[in-house]
Amino acid sequence: MIEKNQYFAKKITAYLDFGSANLKAGTAYRLQRARAEALARLTDPKRASRPGLVPAFAGSGSGTMGSGRGFRNGARLWLGIALIVAAGIGYQQWQGWQQLKDIEETDAAILSSDLPIDAYLDRGFQNWLKTLGED
Amino acid sequence: MRRRRRPAPNRTPFPLATYQEISAFLAGVERRAFKQAMFAVRNEDAALDIVQDAMLKLTEKYAGKPPAELPMLFQRILQNTIHDHFRRQKVRSTWTTVLSALGKGAEKDDDYDPLETIAAKQDSNIPVDPADQLQQVQVVALIEQALARLPARQREAFLLRYWEEFDVSETAAAMGCSEGSVKTHCSRAVHALAETLKAKGVTP
Repeated sequence: MIEKNQYFAKKITAYLDFGSANLKAGTAYRLQRARAEALARLTDPKRASRPGLVPAFAGSGSGTMGSGRGFRNGARLWLGIALIVAAGIGYQQWQGWQQLKDIEETDAAILSSDLPIDAYLDRGFQNWLKTLGED
Repeated sequence: MRRRRRPAPNRTPFPLATYQEISAFLAGVERRAFKQAMFAVRNEDAALDIVQDAMLKLTEKYAGKPPAELPMLFQRILQNTIHDHFRRQKVRSTWTTVLSALGKGAEKDDDYDPLETIAAKQDSNIPVDPADQLQQVQVVALIEQALARLPARQREAFLLRYWEEFDVSETAAAMGCSEGSVKTHCSRAVHALAETLKAKGVTP
């Protein structure tokens, strides 16, 4: 039984070898670059503390290796900042709009009132209104 | 009293032989490592990141180890890096789901097609007949799909035991489990693969 399993596994791994030997050229190239980068750490250990300096992988398309990941994280950071700025601007716009609406409502109330506008500016009239309210 | 200065450390970066050994080791293992990561995460970019991280960790932290220990060390690093990837993904998914509504398709699981990862060259070990060649590519794709669908531990055990040709004790050490568990995982993986492939009409 064990031998049968091993025979089957051997046949499967032969196909896996075929698959891994025939990777896309781009993938093989990126693996090669990754290996070169890892080996560079052997000769220059200082590079280990500077992960941000991993060079971009030319022609990697949507790849995220090395600086690609940095770019992704950077994009997230900028997205967050953009969202906060947009929220701030949105709040300011909304507040301005509310103020305008209040002014418009006040103006509309004044204009649609039977009293002339001058009456609101007359101190005596306001005093009379107050005493009327107290009574 | 003036302290005697310690002699400056040897600036020779690395003994050449060891450098060459590590280079040869990485060159020999990188494609299989990529495939292993690919089976687990099913995303080419993520798999490449994982392999690169594993290589960097090996060269940064374990370069001083004897060459015989490198395969085992690298496998442990690779598996840990894959697990870390899933952990990070789990944390990330809690808030990226909100952003995904904005049209950001982060993962391309559904679009994954193993056939795309295989580009046959005109090598001597590949059948010349295009029909045979196509069939072989299709069988490889089916096998890779079946492997990717195995439970993670079974796949890990199968690949380490049979593809990396670790013995049972080495596989157990790399997986952090008992030898009995390795045997069980391997046996189940073989049966699951055989059944999946049989259902698809493939007899490897």
